[in-house]
Amino acid sequence: MSYASTAGHDEHHDHPTGIMRWLTTTNHKDIGTMYLIFSLIMFMVGGLMILAVRVELFQPGMQLMQPDFYNQLIGVHALVMIFAALMPAATGFANWMLPLQLGAPDMALPRLNNWGFWLLPPAAILLTLPFTLALFGIGDGAIATGWTFYAPLSVQGGIGVDFAIFAVHILGISSVMGSINVIVTIFNMRAPGMTLMKMPMFAWGWLITAFLLIATIPVLAGAVTMLLTDRHFGTHFFNAAGGGDPILFQHLFWFFGHPEVYILLLPVWGFMPQILQTFARKPMYGYKAQVYSFWGIGVLSVVVWAHHFFTVGMPVPALIYFMFSTMAISVPLAVLFFCWIATMWRGSMTFETPMLFAVGWIILFGIGGLTGLVLADVAADAQYHHTYFVVAHFHYTLFAGGIMGIMAGVYYWLPKMTGHMYNENLGKLHFWLTAISFNLTFIPQFFLGLAGMPRRIPDYALQFADFNAVSTVAALVLGLSQLLFIYNIVSCARGGKKATDKVWEGSDGLEWTLPSPPPYHSFTVQPVIK
Amino acid sequence: MVVVAITAAFSLLVGLGFSFAGAWLVLPFAGLEVLAIAYAFYYIHCHAGDYESITIEGDSLTIEKHDYKYDSRTVFNRYWAGVLVRELPCGDHSLFLRSHGKEVEFGRHLMNDDQRLLLAEQLKKRVGVIT
Repeated sequence: MSYASTAGHDEHHDHPTGIMRWLTTTNHKDIGTMYLIFSLIMFMVGGLMILAVRVELFQPGMQLMQPDFYNQLIGVHALVMIFAALMPAATGFANWMLPLQLGAPDMALPRLNNWGFWLLPPAAILLTLPFTLALFGIGDGAIATGWTFYAPLSVQGGIGVDFAIFAVHILGISSVMGSINVIVTIFNMRAPGMTLMKMPMFAWGWLITAFLLIATIPVLAGAVTMLLTDRHFGTHFFNAAGGGDPILFQHLFWFFGHPEVYILLLPVWGFMPQILQTFARKPMYGYKAQVYSFWGIGVLSVVVWAHHFFTVGMPVPALIYFMFSTMAISVPLAVLFFCWIATMWRGSMTFETPMLFAVGWIILFGIGGLTGLVLADVAADAQYHHTYFVVAHFHYTLFAGGIMGIMAGVYYWLPKMTGHMYNENLGKLHFWLTAISFNLTFIPQFFLGLAGMPRRIPDYALQFADFNAVSTVAALVLGLSQLLFIYNIVSCARGGKKATDKVWEGSDGLEWTLPSPPPYHSFTVQPVIK
Repeated sequence: MVVVAITAAFSLLVGLGFSFAGAWLVLPFAGLEVLAIAYAFYYIHCHAGDYESITIEGDSLTIEKHDYKYDSRTVFNRYWAGVLVRELPCGDHSLFLRSHGKEVEFGRHLMNDDQRLLLAEQLKKRVGVIT
């Protein structure tokens, strides 16, 4: 593909300055930056919570906290990481990069974009406020049910559950706003000549993510609203004593919850092939196969939800259906892995920080995928369910597959966003510390799970002590190594070696035709895709 | 239309499915969301063809506008027309062309104020009393 483009020069900025710039901005890059900063802050908040958990688990017995507070930490950590760290990071990239990659001047609905972002901080406050107040002895604390809100525990929970319900509603509205904007932008704002099958993979990943959000957010919204009415308005949707069905809540939650995994991962799968082709210096392998695999995974993701609760008791035909449909996801996923590896095959590879993260991501996310296959087996799942094996599996999926992928994206696009190169040595150090400490944190948890240690317990039997001690020390290193990431980002934003427009030798795409950093108004004249 | 129809059909199908399973509160949320998507596409569809154009030919200055379904065409005498720039409270400027008591705003769709001011300068050289 070749491009002809004109970038707007904006030596004179007419946009507001100071705090008003950020409050009222409708500029996609400003909003993208706010999403990314918000995500980074919440990543640290969620990380601190789980470090406290790991310190508690360093030794058997109760050391630092009461079990109820421990449960709050677990639940809020997950909600913060999923809804306030990973999703906003992906949305931040969408805001920054979709208009640049599609050759559009901005997102299609810029005001909606602004509202979508500014709903996030109140939601984050609602989520964390009861928890923070409990630290000072006020109130009965945050939601302590885990991120799944399972009834009837959540029906009986304290006011923290109500806070979490409202926070989820607000986050859901924000997500739907973002999704509508992405869909409308992709269908209406592409540069002339950019057919759907010429779109960058990142746009495809986000398009399917947006459709998944549209399909599943109403189910989550309905579920938590029914929970709210059960708690305060005398309904019995999930109360067996009143004729309700607590299992219905699990079906509703996981109808949203399983696609949510792909909602978090598809944007990363989108930009990762772009990183691989940049540093392998050869064209992406199997573009069409990747697009069709995205669709295959997107469709399958909404029909496999019940594998999260095989042990609850389901008819055998249902168990078999959900087992095989879950396993079927591995087919398009294997196609993706093949394409990613084939993109690198015989390429002139160099290992700058984004590429290190990308290669590490393929290996570690692969482990996440393979251990997911184990859990998809109904017979095996009976042993692994609700153990640390599951915890390790979904951290390989969501930390390695999600957060490490996001880190690759940050290092890849940071020079384009800021106009400066980051510190490469520091970036590489960050990668190695993250990759090693991540594995040392979670490999022991696979063994703990196989040995039968249940999740969500603040105390454990003595035979689990050694693996827990290793996991805790490694988790502390993992947490501390993220300070390098923050330092690198901040110092890159403040200055450093000037980045070229193309930044990377092998980069290809419309975003690299613009100056680094891009002008306030990206494409004042639409580029033409030839 | 196809995108909206498929999205709406799937969303409502899911809502109806869960309603039959006893979770009827999913349906109103699905309905609200479908309305929001439909409105977003409708809004973009309505305004995708909006444009403003200005043509200077001989003695005439023609301003054409298309906004949603409203079309307007104003013709001024090029040598009698004036260019007016007004500062707005936010610091931006709006650009007007006027003649014989009639005033037409132009350049609302330009992406930034600099472009409007540049256009005003260029127009001033081509309309009114040209020295």
